[in-house]
Formats: sequence, structure tokens, C-alpha cells
Amino acid sequence: MIFAIARKEFVDAWRDGRFRLGAFVMVILLATSTLLAWRQTERTTHERAAATALERENWLGQGQKNSHSAGHYGVNVFKPVAPLSLFDRGIEPFVGTTLFLEAHRQNQAAFAPAQDATAMRRFGELTGAVGLQLLAPLLIILLAFGSVAGERERGTLRQVLSLGVSPRALVFGKTIGLGAALACLFVPAFLLLFGALSSAEWVSTADVGARLGWLALVYGVYLSTVLFVSILVSTLAPSGKSALAILLAMWAAGSVIAPRLASDVVHASMPLIALADFENEMNEDLQKGLDGHDPRSKRMEEFTQRVLRENGKARVEDLPFNFRGLAMLESERLAGEVFDHHFGRLWDRIDAQDRAVTFGGALAPMIALRTVSMGLAGTDFGRHRHFAVAAENHRREFVRVLNEDVMKNASPENQAYAAGRELWEQLPVFALDDVGLERVLERARLAIWILIGWFIASGMALFWAANRMKASAA
Amino acid sequence: MLVARKLIKRFQDRVVVDELDLTVAPGEIYALLGPNGAGKTTTINMFLGFLAPDGGSVSVSGIDVAQDPVGARRKLAYIPEQVALYPRFSGVENLDYFSALGGRRHTTNELFQLLERSGLPRAAAERRVATYSKGMRQKVGIALALATEARALLLDEPTSGLDPAASHDFSTLLRRLAQEDVAILMATHDLFRAREDATRVGILLGGRLAAEYTRKELEHADLEELYLERLRS
Repeated sequence: MIFAIARKEFVDAWRDGRFRLGAFVMVILLATSTLLAWRQTERTTHERAAATALERENWLGQGQKNSHSAGHYGVNVFKPVAPLSLFDRGIEPFVGTTLFLEAHRQNQAAFAPAQDATAMRRFGELTGAVGLQLLAPLLIILLAFGSVAGERERGTLRQVLSLGVSPRALVFGKTIGLGAALACLFVPAFLLLFGALSSAEWVSTADVGARLGWLALVYGVYLSTVLFVSILVSTLAPSGKSALAILLAMWAAGSVIAPRLASDVVHASMPLIALADFENEMNEDLQKGLDGHDPRSKRMEEFTQRVLRENGKARVEDLPFNFRGLAMLESERLAGEVFDHHFGRLWDRIDAQDRAVTFGGALAPMIALRTVSMGLAGTDFGRHRHFAVAAENHRREFVRVLNEDVMKNASPENQAYAAGRELWEQLPVFALDDVGLERVLERARLAIWILIGWFIASGMALFWAANRMKASAA
Repeated sequence: MLVARKLIKRFQDRVVVDELDLTVAPGEIYALLGPNGAGKTTTINMFLGFLAPDGGSVSVSGIDVAQDPVGARRKLAYIPEQVALYPRFSGVENLDYFSALGGRRHTTNELFQLLERSGLPRAAAERRVATYSKGMRQKVGIALALATEARALLLDEPTSGLDPAASHDFSTLLRRLAQEDVAILMATHDLFRAREDATRVGILLGGRLAAEYTRKELEHADLEELYLERLRS
């Protein structure tokens, strides 16, 4: 019986011109946006690879010079493009993609794509994720608002129940049938994307298939929840029109207003430090030390005395190595502590903001979905932080190698020492060991649980509504 | 068989069905007459299990509706004033779906035959029901009763709005079902059809059975006059 109901719902859905039109528009929008995003992502991947190669060429071709000067010459590193950013752009348009690595300074990533955008960008980008988060629920509402209320108005509900069909079986069958109609639309789209990504030569992330699988699962849970809620409202509403009005109001509140509101509330209650203040405080701590009572000059003086004492010398000139190189190493170590403190505090704050916004998913599941989607696509703040930390580690290693070279080779007798290509080649090209899927899922755990909570709660509410349908049907 | 024993239904303080005793035996067509609000549809709703009685009981083919509403519904077919069908499906597809819900599977040929027996030709049965007249819809309803092999049939104003020819066709089908030992309870305002088709006629007033006549008793009486007399009293 449930199969018969599901089959009838499936066929009825596809015979419904409104659904077919909605599905057609949806497919065209998703296909167009994905194709455009594919081209852009592929182009950006190639551009960044070319820029990395050019940077390397410049670095290797900088000529003979003092190693420390090479540290100031610096090198640009580029954030690798996450292949699934073609599906969900996340925060990518608003954060920098390029980091300039140089001696003494930890820089922030620069050149956010949004800086190059036209005013049209303020409307946002249409991506697969936006389509599934915003438009797919509308399609589900269009499909399901009359699923029970429409039958009640038409009189077919009485007809069906008079045949001995239990309301639970009816609702269950409808859910399966409508879900299958929607699956016919979305599953092939996911499979197509999976196939295309698997065969694309520019896709290097090994776990892209697993990530896409998780995305399919998470979006499946979210869209199922929307379907449950739509059928639930249709079951409880007095008419199809009121069901549609209620569902559209819920869509606007949950998909448009709530994410904006959650973000604004969190920003107001947990504000971020202004960029100028951040820079000022960091520069002050670089000079005065993190405790504010231990000036840099004093610490360097103490360091000098300790090195002389340990080597049994009275003057730095008598040390068996270039003290300037060692002092720069120490200076970098001290600066590193300050950078770790300030950047760590800033990033922890952004992480806390993200977590707080995710809690808003308890009121609107789309907020939780966005968190998981961005994480799996590799376009969330977690990956950006991972890139910034990896780039900073690379910078410190690169500066250490250069300063050690100064220490060892630029002796007082050899003041004109200049390193060359041999040393530059010892410094590896920056390569990001991307955030593993396990860590992504760990980070998105709260959001995933919220989505599961919504799925279970909406399913139970639908079960409850189906059980009380008898009275309302008569 | 359809049986109501001391059946009571109240809506807030108003008694809509008041200790109604009613039995419709297999092969019988029972016409329940009464003005609007007399309790006819409420009685049918209690047989269907859509409304729970406040007193008394109803049973269908020996199954207590309160105890096993789904089991009771499996024994009956229901034809409302306007048979509700799915407009994007053809007549035969509607019949296929509804009979599957009623627990009966038929081949497509059998379904066409059932519809033809109910007076709906194959060409019409293949068309989407959005284009159907009310009479054609009623025929699908009768075909459904045949398809589910219902032992009891509940009809709520089935001939209201039908043209005379469609009404006559419908009556012919009903009588054929009665010959197959189906117990038929028909709530109606159509005195002509009640007199023509019913084996018994009951007049419901204020939820009570005010009078009951057999076909034999009506052979030499004017049902309209009897009915109006009861209303006036």
C-alpha cells in the first residue's frame, strides 16, 4: 500500500506542470552556475599554479646576495584552490588568497576576490550550494504544500481514508514518493558532478569524492527535513493556500532573515578587533614584549650576555660564528611568540563567532547546513586559518634557513659574503597539506548534530501529525 | 451488513444523532431522508470511523468501527456527493490506485472491464479525470466499489446534480450491486430516487429515526407527502 501511495505521488509530481517548470528552472540555474564556477575554479587553479612557478623562478633568479637580504626579498605563496569551491564559495570571496612571506613579519592574506568584484557582486553568487540551500527548499514547498491540505480540499483524503488506509501509511507513502521525485532531480546532478570532478586533471585533492559523498548526505538530510516540515504544515494547515503562506513565511525567516540575524547578533555581541588596533597592539608587543615590561632591547641584551657567557667570550666579534645571524634567529623566535599570541587570539575569536552562529542552526537549519557545506567544500574559516598557519610555519622555516646561513657563513672575516642559487634551491616551494576530512567533520560536528536533530524532530512531528489526521479529515 | 445501535453524537451541547438504531442487511438499499442538519452525513461519518460516537456503536460486516476502524473500512466503499479523484490521472489510473489502497490488485484489462460495467467506456476511462462530468465520476466510484468487492456501500447525496439520464444509470448500477448482496446506505434528498431504488426508507429528524417505510408500504403512498407530514409534525 505504501508503495502504491509513493508511486502515485511520484507520478503525480512529475505530471504537475508547476513542479516540472520549477525543476527545469532549478536544473538550468544549477547547471549554468556550476559550469561557470567550474571554468572559474579551473582557471584560478591554473593561474595560481602559474603564479607559484613564476614566484619560484623569481626567487631562484634573484642573484647573489646576503641571505638575510633574501629574507626581505621575500616570496609570495598562494592559497590552493579547493576543488569543491566550485560548489560552495563559502568565505573565499572575502578572504585573501595571497600571503607575502618575509623576514620579521607575519602578514595577513591579501587580494580577496571580492576586491576585484563589480557592484553586481553585492547580490551574491549563484552556486550549487546557494541553489540547494535557497532554491531547492522553494521547489520542495511548491511540490509538497498541497500534499495533504490539497487532498483534504479536493475530498480525496476522505476517499483514501475510507478505503482503510492508515494516516501514517498515507503520510509515509507521500514522503517517499515526493522524496523520490526530488531525488530524480538531485541525485543525477550529484553523480554528474562527482564524475566530472573525478576525471578533471586540475583536481588534486584525493578525498574530493568522499567530501562530495558527505555533501550529498548532509544536503539529503537538510532537504529531507524541509520535505518533512512541508508535509507537516500541509497536514496541519486548514487549506493549501494557508499551508503555502506558512511555508513561504518559514522559508523567508529560516533562509533569508535568520542567517543574517544570527551573523549580526554574533558580531554585535562578540566584535572583532579593528585592523588598525590589531596592528598597533602587535607592533607594541613586538617592541615591549608580551608582558609590556620586557622591552625588546633589554631582552636582546640579556640574550647577548647569555651567548657570550656560554661561549666564554667577552665580545660578540670573538664568537666563532656570525652573532648577527644568531640574534636574528632569536629575534624571529621572540616575534613568533607575539604573532602566535595576536593572530591566535584573533583567529580563536573568529572561530568562536563561527561556533556561535552555528548554534543559530537550532532555530534555522540552513545556518548549520552552511557551516558543514563550507567545511566540506574547503571554503570555511577553518581551512583559511590552516593555510595561514601553514604559510607562517613555512615563513619561519625559510627565515631560519636564511639566518642560519648568515650565522655560519657571514663571519667577521667574510663580511662580503653573499649566498646564491644553491641556497635558494634548498628552500622548498610552499605546499599546503590540506585539512583532512576527519578534521573537517570534527570541526563541523556541532552543525551535523543540529541537522540530525532537525531531521529527527521534524520526522517525529510529522509522525505525530499523521496520527491525529483522522479527526481533521472528517 | 451495516448496524448502528443506540448511536449518539453530540457537537458541543447539540445532539446531532440521538440513539439511532439502524440495520441495513446485505442486498438492501436503505435511503436515509431528512432535512439539512438531520444527522445523515454525521451517521455516515460514524460508519466510516471519521467521527467517534459519543454513545452506542456502529459495525460493518460484524466489525466494530470503534475497535477496528481500518478493518471496518476495508469492508465498505464510500461514494460522496462529488466523487473525489486525482485530476492528473485517468479514470483507469484512479481506479487502479484506489483499488490498490483498498487492498485489491487488478490487471489493466480487469480495471477497464469494471469501468465498463459501471458505464464508463474505455475511451473515457483512458482520459484524465479533469475533463469528467459528475456522472462519470460517480461511475468511477461505483467501479471502485466493484473493484474492492465491498460488502457495504455508503452514499452521501450520490445523485445530487446528476442529469436524469445519469441519475437513472446510477440507480441501475446500485440495484445491480444490491443484487450482489451489498448492503447499501444512501443519504439523500432525492425522494424520487429513494422511492424508485430503496428497499427501505428512513426519515431522520433531529438525529432520531422519525419514521421508516418498506418498499411495499410505499407502493401505494406518496413519499413526498409522508416526508413533508413528518417534517411538519
